[in-house]
Amino acid sequence: MSASDQALIERIIARDESALAAVYDRYAGMLSSVLNRILRDSQAAEEILQDIFFQLWRMPAQFDASRGSLAGWLAVIARHRAISRLRRHNPAAGEELLENTIVLPFNLESIVAQQQLLTRVKGALDGLPKEQRAAVEFAYFEGMTHSEIARRTGDPLGTVKTRLRSAVETLKRNLHP
Amino acid sequence: MNQMNNHPTREEDFDLYALGALEGDEKLAIESHISGCANCARKLAEAQGRISLLAFAAPQSEPSPLVKERLMAQIHASRESAAAPARAPRASGSASVGGLFGRWWAAVLVPVGAALAIATIVLWNQKVQLDRQLAEMHATIEQQQAQLDEARDMAHLFEAKDTITVALAPKQGTPPSSAHVMYNAKMGMLMYDGKLDPTPADKSYQLWLVPMSGDPINAGVFNPVAGQPNHWMMKLPPGTLPKAFAITLEPAGGMPHPTGPMVLVGAVS
Repeated sequence: MSASDQALIERIIARDESALAAVYDRYAGMLSSVLNRILRDSQAAEEILQDIFFQLWRMPAQFDASRGSLAGWLAVIARHRAISRLRRHNPAAGEELLENTIVLPFNLESIVAQQQLLTRVKGALDGLPKEQRAAVEFAYFEGMTHSEIARRTGDPLGTVKTRLRSAVETLKRNLHP
Repeated sequence: MNQMNNHPTREEDFDLYALGALEGDEKLAIESHISGCANCARKLAEAQGRISLLAFAAPQSEPSPLVKERLMAQIHASRESAAAPARAPRASGSASVGGLFGRWWAAVLVPVGAALAIATIVLWNQKVQLDRQLAEMHATIEQQQAQLDEARDMAHLFEAKDTITVALAPKQGTPPSSAHVMYNAKMGMLMYDGKLDPTPADKSYQLWLVPMSGDPINAGVFNPVAGQPNHWMMKLPPGTLPKAFAITLEPAGGMPHPTGPMVLVGAVS
């Protein structure tokens, strides 16, 4: 049976390189997908991917498994880094490693579980009305705020707010474990 | 944002915050509130988790194996350079020598020890640099090997007697463009070559293999550059027999199923 995320983090803290390699194998695909989708630049995506795992190696104790999910935490960091790069904002090194606790009610430690969740998330997004889905994608993958989405789409700000609110309500319902 | 005792009363506010959609006062209100409210901080952590799942909506892509190699080389180099300074104090820690051999010897040995420590650090840095260069050369070789493999795959595709070539023609009402696909079902290998206008910033082209039965299979998402030919290879599950290939215009990054207008299509004869 493969080791849990928590066990791997403990081994990384004990400076076990093979544990970091195992975490990489587990989550690099997921992170690479989101980085490439946001940046559309595979070289930049790979630089950030390498840097995220190098930071995890340097500061593994920043992640406290009792407070959240490693998969969610890494996904938040990857998105944050990619959007910062997209917007030419460079956060101080390690800044984002300190900030978030992520509670994820799914165990993503196996590739099978990740594939099942991938199907479910795509299904939940496909189920949204087209404009709601587009608004969610503008916010998540391009880091746009309500006003920025309104400017991009030409829709009134109130309409955009309502769309996004309805979208997150629906996603919350459909992604409930 | 509706609030009661400063608590956000609508739970979606946490999701909207995690999504990064809130701005100005709405954003500040959440930030200033959660720092002092454990209950709302927990709700925000849950919302962050929910929103992080949207990472799975991105089209799947695997990083190059070189990334992992570079990462492990970087870790290795960082461990070695971290170990280096630990040796320096030992080399320069010759104060006790003074007690044994007198101040004169200490006056000689301390500078010698310091020089040795400096030399050790310099040599160590050189070693780290050489390790890095070696890792880079290794990465280059891997890259060249990957290019060679691709060229070999391409040669196999061209040589194989059961490789089919399908010309894709523009749909009526779309700009003139052309492309063709070479495909070998047994090898599961596909090569696209075409000339299409660049997509709008929020769109990508997506090539689909339309099988004899079942849903179209994603065969590549691409954004051509103006005036440049575009060709690439793609591996698909072997044994899939196509009845057609088609290119649609999709939201940037591609979709799991075709949703946009068809730009080019070609039936397998």
